[in-house]
Order: sequence, then structure tokens, then C-alpha cells
Amino acid sequence: MSIAGLASLIIGILWIGGGTLWLLSRRTYGVKQIPGFAMDLIGFPVELSQSVFGRKGVPYALLMPNMVIFGFFTFAPMILNFYVSFTGGSSINLFDRPWIGSANYSAIFQCESYFDPRTCSNQGFSFWRGMGNTLMFVLIQVPILCAAALATALVVNKNLVGRGFWRAMFFYPVMLSPVVIANIWNWVLHRKGILNEGLGQASDAMTALSGMAGFDMVATILFAVLLLVSSERALRASVDPSLPWAALFGVLFLAVFTWASPLAMIGFQAAPSFWLGAVLVGGLLWFVSTAHPRASWAITGFSIVAVILLLTIQFDAVFDFGRFRPINWLVQPNTGWPFFWLIFVFTWSHMGFYMLILLAGLQAIPADLYEAAKMDATKPARAFYRITLPLVMPTLVVVLVLSLIRSFQIFDEVWLLTGGGPGRETFMIVQHIYETAFTGDRPAYGEAAAGSVLMAIVIAVFTFFQLFITRRQSEL
Amino acid sequence: MGLATFLTRTRGSADKANRIGAADILAYGYLALGVLIILVPVLWTFASSVKPERAVDSFDTRLLPMSQIERPVEGVGNKTSWIYIDEAGTTQEVFKAGPTRRETDVATFDNPTDVFTVPRTGLEPNEEVRIATENYLDPILKRNGQDNFTFFTYLFNSVFVTVMATAITLLINAMAAFALSKYRFRGRLTFTILIIATLLIPSSIILVSLFFVVWSFGIFGSLWGVIIPAAATPTGVFLLRQYMLTIPDELLEAARMDAASEWRIFWRIVMPLSLPALSVLAILSVIWRWNDFLWPLIVLISDPSAHTLQIGLTTFSGEFDSDFHYILAMTVVSLIPITLVFVWLQRFITTGIATTGLK
Repeated sequence: MSIAGLASLIIGILWIGGGTLWLLSRRTYGVKQIPGFAMDLIGFPVELSQSVFGRKGVPYALLMPNMVIFGFFTFAPMILNFYVSFTGGSSINLFDRPWIGSANYSAIFQCESYFDPRTCSNQGFSFWRGMGNTLMFVLIQVPILCAAALATALVVNKNLVGRGFWRAMFFYPVMLSPVVIANIWNWVLHRKGILNEGLGQASDAMTALSGMAGFDMVATILFAVLLLVSSERALRASVDPSLPWAALFGVLFLAVFTWASPLAMIGFQAAPSFWLGAVLVGGLLWFVSTAHPRASWAITGFSIVAVILLLTIQFDAVFDFGRFRPINWLVQPNTGWPFFWLIFVFTWSHMGFYMLILLAGLQAIPADLYEAAKMDATKPARAFYRITLPLVMPTLVVVLVLSLIRSFQIFDEVWLLTGGGPGRETFMIVQHIYETAFTGDRPAYGEAAAGSVLMAIVIAVFTFFQLFITRRQSEL
Repeated sequence: MGLATFLTRTRGSADKANRIGAADILAYGYLALGVLIILVPVLWTFASSVKPERAVDSFDTRLLPMSQIERPVEGVGNKTSWIYIDEAGTTQEVFKAGPTRRETDVATFDNPTDVFTVPRTGLEPNEEVRIATENYLDPILKRNGQDNFTFFTYLFNSVFVTVMATAITLLINAMAAFALSKYRFRGRLTFTILIIATLLIPSSIILVSLFFVVWSFGIFGSLWGVIIPAAATPTGVFLLRQYMLTIPDELLEAARMDAASEWRIFWRIVMPLSLPALSVLAILSVIWRWNDFLWPLIVLISDPSAHTLQIGLTTFSGEFDSDFHYILAMTVVSLIPITLVFVWLQRFITTGIATTGLK
């Protein structure tokens, strides 16, 4: 029997035996009071401290179990981490580990060029690759997650039919375990899975449709009608252009702009046209949402441009996708898809939680502010920037910090979906720590601990930076 | 126009009711799209998990679980059934009597010795809708050589960890919260700050040294190694403390007048009164412990009899990369308990977490 087992046995005997004697010597219990006696027995140390130290001793006794666990399993490891990071070898016995100074750290920092992890030592390569991927993941993930959570919270906060149902649905993935999530998405994203099948069928159908005679003309007329209707509805609103219709118009404009690809005339590919179009549409929506006096003019101008561009589009060429080749979403290297799907799945599974927190923040905003804004005929977009956003900011900061700390620690989803691959495209820092310490033949606890210390520093810097730039709104 | 107004009117009294505008259409479209993205993968996994092995292996993308009918043939054993459609359009149920070639030998089930030759293109599989319960039952009942997935052991371990950890968490967090909210004592601020600090320490940066600590306590490899380190949660202490601050002190004073001991006050008065907050914490704790992955993976991986459902499912998926039908079924099995809890308590969970919970 181990020392810990022996100790817990002795404590158990003292607790139960001593407690029973002590309680029975002071109080009498009937047969019906056996459950009450059991509870008194559990709280026996608290009772004891009350009788020895008076009421002053009680809070310490009450705090004791919680603080002991915190002390042993949170604070002690925190400090121990520094010690372990300066030791080497693969022994689990702490007294058996040789002190090697900062060798673990210098192994990580041993690089010829700090801009290319491939020039580092093996340990350094693994660490910096994981750190780089994690930083990229966090920088893409956190804004997307927060924007999606905020957008969903705003929509769910509206007075809609079946509000409770929508809320519950968006929260559901939070309940699922990472293994279940990974298996579900593995199945969907398999090379012969339902996603590729659906995409293939859609693309084949579109290709067949675009091969039909007169498709170009019909599509042109359809898009022209859609553009005209949306721009007309946007302009018809009583005072200023209506934002939802302008948004719809913007989406259509972006599609037309991308397909017509005006930048291709001066020798670019299609992608820059898309980004230019996105910037233009963003500007338009900014104009409309702030009720700029020239907003109507802008919409009119955009629709003229759209109609001209529309005439240049060969729709049968745009929708001719050719033969569909299934993509191996999680395995194909150098495509960025594995990384994309990690971000997607992470957002999918965690958004509901942050949505609920933001929803609580939104519901704490007093409704009379919106009533007053309505009295003054404030545009909804303006009400959002001037009322909703400032008042939900404290909650948003909490969500930003929490999701940042959470995203930094991403491991489960990666480990189960891609295993860090293809190559090391999705290799994250926690996986580096886990593999260094726990999976190799010769576990390198010291190196893993050094990695965790550096990771803790990076997280701390990020968190404090974030709190610093949002310090006026912060609640933390 | 009157009808259109009636149909597009939203809820509310007559003067407040608005017509459905573009904003509402966009909102409903967004919600519908979101729910589709959330539900379709889950439902698709469920639909696939009841398909027979052959359909899963061939990535049959039809929604219904179709399987080819098998019938016994005298002296041959079970043969799969095919439908032969000849040029006139008449159909005949046959089985293949030889290898599949352009011209295949087939025979009818009624007259298995009368072999005739038909073109391969005229043969279609004779299928029926059949729920493949063997996907679920084989691993659970250890049939067909599926004895690696000891489902009930995993389930017991998972339930044990979840229940014990939740019970301990509720008890010790409530004790700490009671001390911090209802007593004035030296060091109260220090304790509060210490607990806030643990909120900001991510669990994955203390992974390595937590391993050392758990090892030296002698609970590495046992379920207690998973239960105890996670039992004290800063979130729980704060959630309960905020709630207990709203309990009036007069109640406690009245009990003290009646010579109740402090432990009895905690147990008989404070605990029952903070039941709403306790149940939110209980739900959160159940979700966390049931879905825990990395720490159990480190602590329990070496001993298969101590695997929780999540770890068991991981190793199972790793070993049988091709047995998708079992993996899918077991995924659904481990998804069902938490889904039932969710459906049962969803309103409570969403409002509870929205009002009190931070991770």
C-alpha cells in the first residue's frame, strides 16, 4: 500500500470513528435521524473546529477542502512547473531528476533564424511550429467566434417565434464531447462523405443546367430583376435607405462583381476582384448604416455599375464547374482546408456557450433606451453602435478573454480530427506538450514543462494586452 | 392586400404589431441555416449508424438504411438477392450462381439448379429497409469478435467519475462559498484573490507538473486521479458565492439563537436555499466531467479497465479505422445520454448558464 493510501486510511478511521464517538457523546440521535447523523459526520471537522476555536474557526474549516485541492492541484503544479523545466531526464521521481539549468529553454531557442522554425533544433522546431500554428489559430479563431456569437445572440434576442428553441439548438453542440464531435465531422468530411457527395451533385446539376441553351440570358435577366428589386426596396424606405435590403443588394453586387471580375481586364485573377468587391460593399453598407446623406446616391451608382457588369458576364461559363473532384478535407496538404475545418468545427462546438453569455449581457440592457431611440427615429444600425455595442462591451470583453484562453488550449479537436497533420499544418502547442511528455519512449518532462512555461507567458501577455486595450470597458 | 397584411403580421398587440420585414426574413434565414449546420451532421451520423456494414463501407448516401435481402439456397447457404429486369420489362428475383461478368450466371431461388445467363446491366440489388441493430448490439454484447469495446465498463467509469466529481464539487464549493459569503474573518480577501487567480490559470499549462503531483499522491492511473484534481472549481465557488450573498443574514441569526451549530446552519438552511445555483453548477459540472478528454487521456490511457467512455471511444476509433459502422453506432451511444439530459433540461440549462455561469 502506498503512503497516500495509508494516510487516507488513517484519516478515514479517525474521521469516522472519532467523529462517531464525539457526536454520540454530545447529542442523541433517533433511528429516523440516521441521514442527519451521516451529514453531521461529514461535517465533523467543522463541528470540531467550532467547539475548539469558537465561531472564528469555522470559515477556515469550511474553506479547507477547497483550498487544499487548489493548493495541491493548481498552485503547487504552477510552481513545480518552473522547477521541472530546469531538470532533465525521464524520471518521475522529483528527487531523482538532475538539475540541468536552462538547457531545456536553450534547446527551444536554438535556432539559426528566428523567422523559420525549420532551422531550429528538433525540440525548437516542434515548439515554434506549434506556437506559430496556435497563434495563427487564435488570431483567426477568436474574432470569428466572437463575431458569430454576437451575431447569433443579437438575432436570438429579437422577438421571434420559438426563441427558446433557437437558443437551445445553438447551445446543443456545447454539450457534445470532443470525441463525438470529431467522429461526427470525420464522417461528414470523409473523402466519400456526405459533404463531397452533396457538393458533387450540386456542381454536376449546375454544370448540366449551364449547358442548356438560353441559360446565359435567363440568368442575366434573373440577376437583373433581383438587383433591381433589392435596390428599389432599399431606396423606397421612407427617409433613409433600409439596411437589410441594402445588405441583400450588397451580397448580389458582390457576386456579380466577382463573376464579372473587372480586375481581370488589367491582368489579375478572380480573387482580388472578390476582395475589392467586398471592400466596396462594406463601404456601401457603412454609408447606409450611418445614414450618410449620399447613401441613396451610392446605391443608385452601385446598381448602375452592377447592371453594366452583369452584361459582361458569361453565365454558362461561370456555372460550368466541369467534373467534380472530391476533396480530402482533413488530409490534403497545402490546401488550408484542414485548418479551415478546425476553425469551423471549433466555432461550431463552442459558439453556443459564448452566445449565452452575450445574450445575458444583451438582456441586461434596459429596454427604455431603445424606446427613447425609437422616439427620436434613430436608425437601427445607429442604435446598435450607440446603445447595444457600448453596453454589451463589458460582457464582450469577458467573452474575448475566455475564448482567447480557451482557443490557446485547443487540443482535443485537433488530436482527434487531424492529429496535427497533414504534415504539421495543424500541430498545436498543447499537442507539442502532450507528445513531448506523454507519448514518446523517453518522456521529456523537462522540455514539456519549459514549453508550458513559455506558453503560459504568451497567454498572460495576450490576456493582459487584451485587457489593457479594453480596460475602460472591462469588468474583470 | 388585407390577406397579405394578416399573413405577414408578427406577434404583439394590434398597435405594436409590425409586418414581417426584410430584417425578420434575414433573421429567420440565419437561424434556419445555423440549425441546419448544427443538426444535419448529427442526424446524418445517426442515420448512418443504423445502416448495415456493407452500406456504410460503400458510403451509401441514401437517407434510409437499405440492405440487400439474403435468402437461403439449398446446399449453398445464404445468397444475396438480385432483381433481373429483362428487355421486355418483366422482373425476376434471382441470385448469382457464378462470378460477376458481363454475362452473369444466375438462378432463381425457387429453382436453384436451373442456371441461366443474363447481362450484368439487367441486374439490380434487391433491397429492403432494415435497421442494422447489430452495429449497436455487437460491441455492447461482445458478439462477432467485438470484445475490445467494453461498453459497460466505460459507462460505469464515466458515470462514476461524473457523479463523484459532481458530488464532491458541489459539497466543497458550497462550503467555500458559504465561508466567503457569510463570515467576516482575517484573510477573506486573500482567499478570494487566490480563487480568482485559479480562474486565470489554464489547465493545459500545468499539465506536466500536475502529472508529477498526481503521481506522487499515488492516484495516477485510477479514477480518483481524474476526480480529485478537478473537484475544486473557481467558477463554482463564485457562482455559489454570488447566490449565497442574497440569502438574508437574519435567517442564520435566528438559527444561531436556537443553538444550531454552524455546520447544521450550512446544511439545513444555506444548502436548501441555494438550490437553484447548486443545480446550475451540477449541470455545468456534469457537462465538464462527462466530456473531459485530455486529462483522463493522460491519467487513464494505460489501463483499459479504467477508461471512461470518451477514452474508450477514442481508442476504439483508432484501432478499427475501417469499422465505421461500429464507430458510428458507439458515437451515437455516447451521444444519447447527454442529448437526453439536454432535451429534458434545455430551458433550465440555457437560462441558468445565461444568468450565472462563466466557464
